[in-house]
Amino acid sequence: MSALAAALDSELTAYAADALVVLGLAVTTLGVLGLFRMPDTYTQLHATGKAVFLGVIAFLVASLATRDAAIATRAFLIACFLILTTPVGAHVIARAAYRRREPMLTPGAVDESGAGLPERARDDGPGAGATR
Amino acid sequence: MHEIVFQIATLWLALLVVPCIVLILRARTGTGKILALDTLTLLLIALLVLWSDTERVPFFLDAALLLALLGFMGSLAAARYHSEGRIF
Repeated sequence: MSALAAALDSELTAYAADALVVLGLAVTTLGVLGLFRMPDTYTQLHATGKAVFLGVIAFLVASLATRDAAIATRAFLIACFLILTTPVGAHVIARAAYRRREPMLTPGAVDESGAGLPERARDDGPGAGATR
Repeated sequence: MHEIVFQIATLWLALLVVPCIVLILRARTGTGKILALDTLTLLLIALLVLWSDTERVPFFLDAALLLALLGFMGSLAAARYHSEGRIF
């Protein structure tokens, strides 16, 4: 603990926090962009999962730069909770899409589960990956 | 600590909320709407975390933790009800 406090005392802490915030912003923006551009729910889950892990966790680690014990404790709690519950949430949403038999709109996706989800053929043209 | 970076990041996240709301209104499937709502909750959590760092008070992180808990439970309940017709 004292080693961490000593490491946080250096002048580089502010720049490290800035770098982490910029990284988190970039990943979160790409996550929202991925939600826009991905054709169906199964692929949108990829975008949001990465946005949570690299984006929000980066913001929480950057909050260590304030050198406040109360903030650091709460940030650690939120990080632990998000790490534990994001995969569960993604699994439940994917299972909901699967049970509702939502089609796999990614061109060339193959349904290997045997449930007979409707697919889109691979040779649908270059614009097939877009929103509609 | 450079506050200006955190403040600009908070503003950027607040601007990112608008495309997320457009996504909620525009999603074709119910599952897409649930996923967009979950992402909106995460954007708000990130916003609260960054604002708590800017003001150097721990209160907003409590609100962020509550949002994470309730948002997770809400996504679970909504997705399960959407697919199975019941929650438990």
